[in-house]
Amino acid sequence: MKKITSNWQTAFVTVIVIILAIYPMLGPSSYLKHLFILFFIWSVVANYWNLLNGYVGINSLGNIGFLAIGGYTSGILSLRFGLSPLITIPIGGLVTGLLVTLFLGFPALRLSGIYIALLTLIFADTLPSILTQTRDITGGGMGLHEIPPFFPGMEKVHAYYICFLFFLIAMLILYKVIHSKTGLAFVAMRDSESLANTLGINRYQERLKVFAISSFMTGIAGGFYVHSLGDISPTTLSIEPFLLGLAMIELGGIGTFYGPILGAGAIVFGNEFLRLAGTLRLALLGALICGVILFYPGGIMQLVEELGKRIKVMLNRKKVTE
Amino acid sequence: MESFINAIVSGLISGSLYAAMALGLTIIYGISRIFNFGHGVIALIGAYTAWIFVQNSKIADMSLLLGILVTIAFLFLLGFLLYRYAMNPLMKKPNWDISTVLFMLGLGILLENVILQIFGPRVKSIPVFKEGYIRIGVVQINWHEIIIIFIVIIAIILLNVFFKRTRIGQAMRAVAQSIPGAQVVGIDIEKIFSYTFGLAFVVTGISGILLGTKYYMNPHIGWEWMVKGFVIVSFGGLGSTNGAIYAAIILGVVEALATLFLGAMWVWPIWFAIFMVVLLIRPQGILGGRA
Repeated sequence: MKKITSNWQTAFVTVIVIILAIYPMLGPSSYLKHLFILFFIWSVVANYWNLLNGYVGINSLGNIGFLAIGGYTSGILSLRFGLSPLITIPIGGLVTGLLVTLFLGFPALRLSGIYIALLTLIFADTLPSILTQTRDITGGGMGLHEIPPFFPGMEKVHAYYICFLFFLIAMLILYKVIHSKTGLAFVAMRDSESLANTLGINRYQERLKVFAISSFMTGIAGGFYVHSLGDISPTTLSIEPFLLGLAMIELGGIGTFYGPILGAGAIVFGNEFLRLAGTLRLALLGALICGVILFYPGGIMQLVEELGKRIKVMLNRKKVTE
Repeated sequence: MESFINAIVSGLISGSLYAAMALGLTIIYGISRIFNFGHGVIALIGAYTAWIFVQNSKIADMSLLLGILVTIAFLFLLGFLLYRYAMNPLMKKPNWDISTVLFMLGLGILLENVILQIFGPRVKSIPVFKEGYIRIGVVQINWHEIIIIFIVIIAIILLNVFFKRTRIGQAMRAVAQSIPGAQVVGIDIEKIFSYTFGLAFVVTGISGILLGTKYYMNPHIGWEWMVKGFVIVSFGGLGSTNGAIYAAIILGVVEALATLFLGAMWVWPIWFAIFMVVLLIRPQGILGGRA
């Protein structure tokens, strides 16, 4: 984990946040607002996925499944029982965190990395058939429709601000987690497993903690997803969202804080252009993931870093010549 | 009772197919420590290559054989080159375990959609080897299924001979046991790994052809095959070849019985439940692989 708190970076982030905050007042189309809402939610999903895969080295492949559990729980509670989303979204997060930690975390986190990849992939693969089995509650293959919004009479602008706020809070929590004792324990474990063991870091416990945090927050993101978009169906668990999430992490830069956010932006807005490619879209996304891993493993963040270095060199040269 | 016995027999048949499919996975993992998340699509490539030959020829019997031979050559080359130019550079980096998983997933989806572009989404199947069936008591078996079991058994015997008797097979087993140990005695690891990928892809491709003759195939079925393969290899013990064979047969029978008594919709949740139980009780699998 590199310290990325230099002055110009803080300034840059502040400017971006301010721009995002005043953007809806400039009167963009409803479609663009919709894309931004998707971007906020996907950033959270991608970045908490990256927390597992990039920082901690837990090979999770089921984060879209976590999103679906949170979304379905919150959607069903508010649709069938008429509860307010303010209550159902946290319940969705808690249910996701509990289910995932119990069924995936406890059995697999003790074992080597490949088991968690297998288990989470198979788990996400089993969910659609469970959903069709429980048609009466979950709507089966049709999914849930007309899920109530955050509050009655909500407009796109409100959804924008609510998701924006959620995005900021989620990123703040993530930042805190990475810089907490648990986060530091992971840096220690990544750098030297044996030293970390000597220092008395309980690997299993720390991994379980991070796994619970990631699944809880992804479940919450699922709640925000259904209440701002209004429907969810088993297609959420199909190959495309899964691939989009992975592409965001890889393209942005795996194991970095800002990478998945940039990746989410690039993929959410880029995917709209990719719709022109029709059925070739998934092939292109797959090729993108392969290409980035093979030729440019640092993704966009590597590009940013290299550009930053080059600018620094240029500035230094100017000073020398003066 | 009759349906019960028939379910067990059909379970044994699909079990032997699953065994063939899981072998490719467990060979790669056992020797190179890479888990092939593009496994399903490799099997599909094998099946579709053979399908081209069957579809485009006049002499029906020879064409399948020719198709199988071409598939073998093609997939060996594919595995060999894939290791050389993609896996090998990735293996040298610190977080290779995650990057190889994600790379193979991306490649699998890429190839799946290329297949979709070339062959279209319609369901296809490879014609059976031999029509007709025989009856033994209450049990009725197709000739085709007898031939499949025969091919799987021959393949397993050939693989065993290869690993035990040939020099390169012995080198592969040495690498599977210990990479530094194999290096000390002068085995070229990269060469062994690329041959391993070639061999495993060939085995996977042949299992794909067999699956394509017994069931149907479309560009997306590879995922289903692969996930079943995952459960089988973990049940049998990651990296253990014999474990995978036993696990495949057990799971094939369980699947057939579950379909008989509970219905086909419960097959997936049951596979997942078995996987969970294995991880909780005996994560090293029935024959003890790497946990």
